[in-house]
Amino acid sequence: MENASFPLETVETVVLFVAQSLSAVERTFYKLPGSGIIERYVRSSHQNDPGRTFAELIILILVIINLLQSRTRPDRNKKSFLELTEKDIDELVEEWAPEPLSQPLNETEAAELAAVPIVLGPTGPHPTLLNTGKTAINLASLNFTGLAGNDHIKQRALETMRKHGVGSCGPTGFYGTFDVHLNCERDIADFLGTEGAILYSQGFSTISSVIPAFCKRGDIIVADRAVTLAIQKGMEISRSTIRWYDHNDLHSLEEVLQSVEKDRRKRKGPLTRRFIITEGIFERDGSMTDLPKLIELKHKYKYRLILDESFSFGAVGRTGRGLTELYNVPASKIDMLVGSCSIGLCAGGGFCAGSHTVVEHQRINGPAYVFSASMPPLLAVSASEGINVLRNTPSLLVKLHDNIRAARIILDQVDCVSIPSHRASPIIHLYIRATPPSDLLHPSSAAVSAKPSNPSSPVPRDAPVFDIQKEERLLQEVVEEAMAQGVMITKAKRVRGLELTEARPSIRLAMTSALSKADTEKAVNVLAKILRKKLK
Amino acid sequence: MALNRGSSPTSSIFKSSKRSSSTPPTSAASYLSALSQADASLRARRSTTSPSPTAASTPALSFSSLLTSTTEVGEEDNSDGLAVYTTVHTEFGHCYNENYRHVSKHTPGAPVIQDIDQDPPYYILFSTYISYLILIVLGHMRDFLGKRFYPDSYKHIMPRDGYAALNSDFDSFYTRRLKQRMDECFMQPVTGVAGRTIQILDRVTPDYNHTQILLGTRTRALNISSYNYLGFAQAHGGCADAVEEGMKRYGVSTAGARLEGGSTDLHITAEALVAKFVGMEAAVISSMGFATNSTYIPALVSKGCLIISDELNHTSIRFGVRNSGAHVRMFKHNDMKNLEALLREVISQGQPKTHRPWKKILVIVEGMYSMEGTMVDLPGVLKLKEKYKFYLFVDEAHSIGATGPHGRGVADYFGIDPRKIDVLMGTFTKSFGASGGYIAGSKSLIERLRIRGYSGAYAESISPAVLTQIMASMASIMSVATDGPVGPSSSSLSSSTSTLQLPQDFHTLIHPGPISQSSLPTWLTHTLPPSLSSGAEGAHRLQRLSFNSHYLHLGLQKLGFITLGHASSPIVPLLVFNPAKMIMFHRMMKDRKTPIVVVVVAYPATPLISSRVRFCVSASHTKEDVDEVLRACDEVGDVLDLKHGVMANGERRWTVEEVCERAVELVRGYAEAEGGLKKTD
Repeated sequence: MENASFPLETVETVVLFVAQSLSAVERTFYKLPGSGIIERYVRSSHQNDPGRTFAELIILILVIINLLQSRTRPDRNKKSFLELTEKDIDELVEEWAPEPLSQPLNETEAAELAAVPIVLGPTGPHPTLLNTGKTAINLASLNFTGLAGNDHIKQRALETMRKHGVGSCGPTGFYGTFDVHLNCERDIADFLGTEGAILYSQGFSTISSVIPAFCKRGDIIVADRAVTLAIQKGMEISRSTIRWYDHNDLHSLEEVLQSVEKDRRKRKGPLTRRFIITEGIFERDGSMTDLPKLIELKHKYKYRLILDESFSFGAVGRTGRGLTELYNVPASKIDMLVGSCSIGLCAGGGFCAGSHTVVEHQRINGPAYVFSASMPPLLAVSASEGINVLRNTPSLLVKLHDNIRAARIILDQVDCVSIPSHRASPIIHLYIRATPPSDLLHPSSAAVSAKPSNPSSPVPRDAPVFDIQKEERLLQEVVEEAMAQGVMITKAKRVRGLELTEARPSIRLAMTSALSKADTEKAVNVLAKILRKKLK
Repeated sequence: MALNRGSSPTSSIFKSSKRSSSTPPTSAASYLSALSQADASLRARRSTTSPSPTAASTPALSFSSLLTSTTEVGEEDNSDGLAVYTTVHTEFGHCYNENYRHVSKHTPGAPVIQDIDQDPPYYILFSTYISYLILIVLGHMRDFLGKRFYPDSYKHIMPRDGYAALNSDFDSFYTRRLKQRMDECFMQPVTGVAGRTIQILDRVTPDYNHTQILLGTRTRALNISSYNYLGFAQAHGGCADAVEEGMKRYGVSTAGARLEGGSTDLHITAEALVAKFVGMEAAVISSMGFATNSTYIPALVSKGCLIISDELNHTSIRFGVRNSGAHVRMFKHNDMKNLEALLREVISQGQPKTHRPWKKILVIVEGMYSMEGTMVDLPGVLKLKEKYKFYLFVDEAHSIGATGPHGRGVADYFGIDPRKIDVLMGTFTKSFGASGGYIAGSKSLIERLRIRGYSGAYAESISPAVLTQIMASMASIMSVATDGPVGPSSSSLSSSTSTLQLPQDFHTLIHPGPISQSSLPTWLTHTLPPSLSSGAEGAHRLQRLSFNSHYLHLGLQKLGFITLGHASSPIVPLLVFNPAKMIMFHRMMKDRKTPIVVVVVAYPATPLISSRVRFCVSASHTKEDVDEVLRACDEVGDVLDLKHGVMANGERRWTVEEVCERAVELVRGYAEAEGGLKKTD
């Protein structure tokens, strides 16, 4: 019996000891400052349910594990991980043959690259081309109001160079913000009538950076199906949920907005940021957004509007303020108004105008603003001076629009091409007119008649069908012929295969007030003749 | 100062060659005093009209300490002052002493030394964490109370009228509650040239950094912050004259994308020159450095490819990588073992789920890391490249122009043929005083990038003014041969500089030798002054930069600070740890008699614990400028308790006077030790 009682006694002592030390621990715990809070937290989470405490413990452990894991650790615990011996790995490494880094250009690509116009000396309305050795009438450069050859701007840029040097040698946050940058930002904001503006150092990268500065994972973006590549790339970086509406079709936009709202109600999700992203004048085809209607929809559905005015700023409106001036809408109604100083003002860089909150937010969150050197001061001054010129000489815009009208009158009579561009657009795209002309002219009108497109896909329901290679080749022939005859034009260059949907091949004419009406007509007539001959 | 006075035989050759200069000997000194007087009178006038407390409290810009010491040297050696008469002292400091030169070069076979990671004492770590904890707790308390008592000032971060907040209170917590407290260190508006000195626009904040008010006054400060490695940020001098000529000929803008009519003959010439500079077949230039990465990386890789990226790579690389659609893996910063393990894993495992082999693997590293100052272990990477057959992309944004005996970047520093690297990327912002970036590689690769990179088709082309700056500065580093391919003997100046006496073991005649006159437009060769086109000034700048980088780096270490990075890197980070010390460091440097502007960097650009001050040394700094920075750091470091470095081999710390006096010894000693490693290896 002694043998049996011995363990019993031992167990008793052990239990007693454990109980004593536990109560000692408890007493010390309550002596600690702040222990009350922890106790309350544990009690309220426990709620008489050990399962809950257990779950919390697991979460705590997971958090610790997660914190301890390094980003660079190889992920071996994935299901598909194969256990291999060192010898196997050596063999696999030996066997692996990568593709070449780049494919050499094929004949067509090489020929096209060789035919890219190269200007000898300064660009302007009548540049000398290296390709032909002769001067040409320039309908290719984006020099809408002729600021590229403005002597006053050049003089001011020179003075700035003599004061500030060329490069700013620093990111904006660290001694790269010069007084001239701040002046330029103020000039843009004053010109448009917004609270503020922020300068980026490249026009293309501006919108790609503005979008991810505001749109984050879980936010909703409703975008036009034909937005330019820069916008597509910005949306890709943002990781937001994207819904698409048919190109320049505000009925389709409203339908998409309604469906998003319905979806949200159904899921009872939290309120997220919602954005409409579109362009003023589309880079792809020169068509124009109906701004008042767009603003009405945005207010109705409580979306923020990111409008890319790269091709309309400095080109439409009485003094070139862009779509807001044309439609007489205050620019402050547009939450983020993005424009380009390199296109509209022939300087360099781009800007985003909006409220103080919008602008200041980007100074910390716009990747291309924060992590890039600021624009060379001389370009900022050129942009400021460009605005001055626009303000003071509205006749430039009048002249530009006379030229656009003159060109359109001639081009409208060429029946082998169709023109998707708006009548006020300074860029005029020319498509090859296909056999049934109606659905290619307005792809959106075809979509309205049928069932609506799927908003989560960038491809419209009745996507227009075209033979890219054949059209590109034909248009390239036109371009080369025109250059030979002294008219510098260009196709709208695309990076095929990298855009979400392929843009239709087109010739993109850029009108300018630097040319006289007679010269414009002369050049467009030459082009019309070539078009008729080549595209018959 | 004995060392400074002692003139080596080379510098006496130098003297005799320079005596021919017809300028009167006192002009540099008189110029300097005139400059300081003008500056002072301007300031005096301004500060009387303005009620600014900061402007009044700072003494009328005295660079006296800098000026007197420079003038001493100037009076002594004035007869042979180099380039004095073409540069402005405030933009590019005059430095005559030939001892203050150094050539940075890696000894082949030697290991790549970086600074060893030094941990601060525990109480520093502890107080840093406590600081952040206090800041976070206080911030949340302020938010909690503020939202109830001052709802108006929280409007923009709360949802209202059915709109979600543009930046919710949670997302913006760090910005509002931590960064805003030290806003005085960021976004400082400046004016003038971002050269050796810079003029900052004085500002005050009446409401704890919610608004910053410019006072209208300026302070000239010593600039140890701009990316101006070779000192080409100049509004005067040969390059600026060339830019003026270029602008007169080509205008400001070319109005269009490269493929859509925005190309000029200047672009073609400049691209060929860049290709020669870096030693590749061809190059393409883009108008923005950030965009060079973000728009060309997607043209290199696509779905089914793998990018292996250093964990500290720049945001622009990440931006491009995300746009490319390729799979990404990261490896530990500059850790070749980790990279090899990762390579073995990814090649053997293939693509996730399908296990199909990768189409291609692109390893992306930076030549010099902008926050750490570390240099990539290029020999190590290339060794792995041979075995694992990946393609290598080196971002030389901070190393091109700044490293290597010929300024051609990391490949030059290590004495490696650049063509062993597949893609070389770099920017013109840092060393060349311009803006934009380039990608260089084989001819077929570049042609493909021209039509496949988005920049060519959509982005504006680079401004001719900027292009001229790039070409002029590059040509002055490369030197333009008068006739025939090589002509170093044509100029007695260059024969005295030691770069051209380097062993000819790895460089061929073509790279990195001089360029022929036909590589530049005729007008540019005529505009460039002989000191630039002979390459003498370029070599001079490279050597000064290398000396200054080593000197500051080693000097700070001798004083007892913890620094990071490679000794030859112009980026010198100094760890300060505690967040509050950053703002104090910044303020104390700025409020000195000779104001110094510095960059402070904190989380999220660095790990939470290692907040730092980042110095960017330039060739435009004189030795006295670096002395000044060291003296300032020494004083501030004592006050802020920053000296926690542990000296190797139980050496004692040096006093600042000792460091200043033994500067040359310090730099040369380091180079010898570095070379000596090879023998022991």
